Amino acid sequence: MTAWLVTVFLPCLLNVALALFLSPLYEGIMRKLRAAIHSRIGPPITQPYWDLLKLLGKEDLRSTGGAIYASLPAFTLASLLLLATLVPMGTAAPLAFAGDMIVVLYVAAMSAVLIVLTGFASASPYASIGSSREMMLLLSVEPILAIALSVGAFKARTLALDGILNWQVQNGPSISMAIGGLAFFLALQAQAGKLPFDIAEADQEIMGGPLVEQSGPRLALFRWAMWTKQLVLCFLLVEVFFPWPRLGIPLLDLMMAMGKVLVVLVLVAVIDVVNPRLRIDQAMGYFIRVAFSSLAALAFAVIGK
Amino acid sequence: MDNQDQLTVARIKELAAARSDGALISATQPHADTLHLAIDKRAMRNVVDGLVNELQARFMISVGTDRRPVTGNFAILHLFSLDREHLYVLLESPISADDLRIESITPVVPGADWAEREFQDAVGVHPEGHPDPRRLLLADDWPEGAYPLRRDFPYNFQPPPAPNVRPQLREPPAGASVVPMGPFFPVLEEPSYWRLFVEGETIVGCDTRIFYNHRGIEKLGDSVLTYNEIPYLAERICGICGFIHSTCYCQAVEKAAGIEVPRRGRYIRTIMLELERIHSHLLWLGIAGHIIGFDTVLMQTWRIREPVMWICEEISGNRKTYGMNTIGGLRRDLPNHAKPKLIETLAAVEKEAIAVRNAIVGDTTLHARTKGVGVLTNEWAKKICVVGPPARASGLAVDARIDHPYAAYDEVPPRIATQDAGDTWARVVVRVAELLESIRLVREALAAIPEGPICAEIKEEIPPDRVGVSVVEAPRGEAIHFVMTGGDNRPYRWRVRAPTYANLQALPATVMKGTIADVPITLGSLDPCFSCTERLETVDRRTNKVRIYSHAELLEISRGKIRRGGTR
Repeated sequence: MTAWLVTVFLPCLLNVALALFLSPLYEGIMRKLRAAIHSRIGPPITQPYWDLLKLLGKEDLRSTGGAIYASLPAFTLASLLLLATLVPMGTAAPLAFAGDMIVVLYVAAMSAVLIVLTGFASASPYASIGSSREMMLLLSVEPILAIALSVGAFKARTLALDGILNWQVQNGPSISMAIGGLAFFLALQAQAGKLPFDIAEADQEIMGGPLVEQSGPRLALFRWAMWTKQLVLCFLLVEVFFPWPRLGIPLLDLMMAMGKVLVVLVLVAVIDVVNPRLRIDQAMGYFIRVAFSSLAALAFAVIGK
Repeated sequence: MDNQDQLTVARIKELAAARSDGALISATQPHADTLHLAIDKRAMRNVVDGLVNELQARFMISVGTDRRPVTGNFAILHLFSLDREHLYVLLESPISADDLRIESITPVVPGADWAEREFQDAVGVHPEGHPDPRRLLLADDWPEGAYPLRRDFPYNFQPPPAPNVRPQLREPPAGASVVPMGPFFPVLEEPSYWRLFVEGETIVGCDTRIFYNHRGIEKLGDSVLTYNEIPYLAERICGICGFIHSTCYCQAVEKAAGIEVPRRGRYIRTIMLELERIHSHLLWLGIAGHIIGFDTVLMQTWRIREPVMWICEEISGNRKTYGMNTIGGLRRDLPNHAKPKLIETLAAVEKEAIAVRNAIVGDTTLHARTKGVGVLTNEWAKKICVVGPPARASGLAVDARIDHPYAAYDEVPPRIATQDAGDTWARVVVRVAELLESIRLVREALAAIPEGPICAEIKEEIPPDRVGVSVVEAPRGEAIHFVMTGGDNRPYRWRVRAPTYANLQALPATVMKGTIADVPITLGSLDPCFSCTERLETVDRRTNKVRIYSHAELLEISRGKIRRGGTR
């Protein structure tokens, strides 16, 4: 019983806590960077925490009734916390025994599907448009994540993320994994809902898309979920595709991973700030090209590069 | 007036006589550039057809006016411009109070759509054969049969509130659904209601209801204010091109009264007008960036724009709404110490504007969002009588500064930029070129500005029953003011047409077959217009002390809050 507590429950709790409480901080840093490029002073780095606090303290208004609709924000955040326990952060993923790469892909897609459902359920034309855009984006981005992770699976001959990670640490960098990582990074921009791919939210066109009817605590949970998503997927990227150097000391490895996550998120923020928004058809065309290019990574993996 | 102009005038008279089949009542030429034809209303559509199709006249605006106290009739005037000949043609038809109808000209000139609906609302003359005679100007709860611009209608009339009224809006075509945009929408700074009819994300049609902001300005002009008070009201028509409207109004009155503005006054007007274009185009570029999610462009262009506002404040005392214009010239001279500063500011703005231009020219994602988007074909631009940058981006070389020179533009003529593509990108390119051209114009005007008086001395009353037509090329296109002088030291009728009035009518043709994602940027590329407050005044209720915060203080307060890490 105690063994279970130490080997599974506590690490799970640690990953969940990291994902929950670090994600607003990274968001704050990204906002500050955005402001700097805008020639603005910008909000303090802690602003996202205050945003969440303020939103959580507001009245809960709903455009439609129903228990499922009411619980969607909580489920969305929960699905991402589940993802956090399936992803290695400095050490092996705590729930790795429960599921492999396939489960990770499903759980990663779950939050997007839940947001799409929220949009369709909220009885607003803007939300419906946003949801259908989100759906199209999901369908064009998900294959890229699958291909990129499959490269690792193919090379390490295992579907377990920890297995891929260990194989990477032992065998060092390879061309195929680098291309896979790049494709994953490009998909991350859309998964995180950043420009030029924030098409589903598109404030100026459809006023926040699927989330247009969300406010107060419900909006807080959705915001939190989005920030958590970008952080956890970032961890997935740096841990699976760029795990070196791996010291074997969990705390140091974690610090290093956090540093790498910061670098990736800074890149995401820079791309976000120097691009206008694409149209949904243009974005889908782009991701179809990325998906085909990422097949090259599989080809390299087959010839052992 | 040279021979060629006389030939044109003779040709128009001939055409009007032939087309009206003997119904031409009179033909006068109140000013060298204005031909005033009075014709019977039965011949109106026929004469207009001839003017537009044979002489390539461009429709500008219609004016409905209640002349009953003077002639016993109503009158409808249609104003046209012959751009190459620098001539205005004013067609007037008396309308008897017993038969308040006139043939609609919209079937011949689609661009007259709103203008005709407007006089129907304002004076109650019905345009017969109008394809869409719904209410335009008046609020939806305004009572039927109350025509605010009739002479016997009090300016302070308050109709009883009517609950549960809705705009008369069209239903979508079969199979299409409605996506509403407005009346309040994030990227529309002012209320306007667009109903987009969509199939999936593709637009198959649209309907609109605007005029939520109608303030009754024209009514105030001919019933409450006097000639010299109106410039201040005119300046407040728009928060961005205020000086343009006050200049345009003053010019119309000056023309009607035959007042000659001193040369220095005309130069200062030119400089201020071009400064307005510079800051307006920078503002527009920022908003266009914001609409497609490119906030870096917004933040940087508005940063570049700020010194222009400061120099305007240095010259006039205000960032905006300068209060400098008056009938006959200006109330405030261009101070000598502002000149070197102005030149310095222009150099800095030019350098940064070129940097922005180079950045956006090479941005492929920006091209993807603007090229081929919101195409306004040359044919439609002509039909709807579009003006300003949207017209010039569709290959129509229309520019009031060239077509009807005013202020000092005859001495410092602008080089106008045109494009043929008619898409959003072409409108960006035209505006950026104009921005740089305006900087050059201000420099040239500064170099050529003469010394001397800035305002003409007016000793006599402005005579009644004269007309004056004036245009000013605003950043968004040609603004038109029409003044008919009256007694009581105020106009009998003052008609204003802002450029957006013409350009917005082109939107339905422009967004057709595009997607929802393209609508905001297409609308934005035709016209955004808004005003903002920069100062704050607080009153301490206990001591009744007034404290006015300066720009620097306000900045310091807000920055202090950020430094304290405050969430209020």
